[in-house]
Amino acid sequence: MASPAPAVDSQSTQPLIETLRACTHDVFGTMVGSTLAEGTPLAGDALRPQSNVVGQIGFGGSRCGLVVFYATSAGAGVITSSLLGMSEGDEPSKAEVADAIGEITNMIAGSFRTRMATDGDAWAISIPTVTMGSDFYMTPLSDGRRTMLPFRMGDHEIFVELVITTKVRRA
Amino acid sequence: MRFLVVDDSTTMRRIIINTLNKLGYTEIVEAGNGREGIDRVSEGPVDLIITDWNMPEMNGIDFVRSLRAMEGKQHVPVLMVTTNAAKDDIVEALRAGVNNYVVKPFTPDTIKEKIDAVMAH
Repeated sequence: MASPAPAVDSQSTQPLIETLRACTHDVFGTMVGSTLAEGTPLAGDALRPQSNVVGQIGFGGSRCGLVVFYATSAGAGVITSSLLGMSEGDEPSKAEVADAIGEITNMIAGSFRTRMATDGDAWAISIPTVTMGSDFYMTPLSDGRRTMLPFRMGDHEIFVELVITTKVRRA
Repeated sequence: MRFLVVDDSTTMRRIIINTLNKLGYTEIVEAGNGREGIDRVSEGPVDLIITDWNMPEMNGIDFVRSLRAMEGKQHVPVLMVTTNAAKDDIVEALRAGVNNYVVKPFTPDTIKEKIDAVMAH
């Protein structure tokens, strides 16, 4: 688990972080059948999770930003096997892992959007994109306020990041 | 009872099909978007349709509208499974002809309750 850092996000984004954390627990508890342990949220980009599979969804409306999901290959494989109900010992294909992590990201971001809409924030979300590989990291907008939520699923670390833009971008 | 599952995500199709299997339903056909869904419906009878909302080529709302315009398909029960769960989304889906709504993430019990509810009608 990532070591705790003092920085937690500013007050204005704290409700968003709490909501995103609750959505992540809900999706994993309901669809993956896993109870997640959680670490301390880290603000900024100091933490670059070791990850091989990254799901990402943008949202826009009264707030704009990204929800990003990070997992290692092994962790993503466990998630995929569980979602697909695969037998022990069966290895999911790369395509299955990509689709499953896209769906997990979609469910987390979709639940997040729905809960924020209940509170009066109406957003649209993008379709998910999934990046797979090694030796890469994600660099969102330079004006984005980033908060990383670390979780542990058994032996595997996973991370959910919230990036909120602090400026309105116009084409 | 013959089900049609329409979703562009192979993961979500598999989750729904596994759930249906656990509930004892084994006769299931699949489609990857609304257009394929219309093809499957044209090929043979289906008793209940479970569809996603956001899909390429033809989304779930347009799929249901097209379905309802087909002869003899006005009353085929349709469940929509999606993350779009804001009040306005639900109203739009019901207006398009969706009979009931399942919000992701969901449990097998939720799917069963919704199937029972739409079949009771």
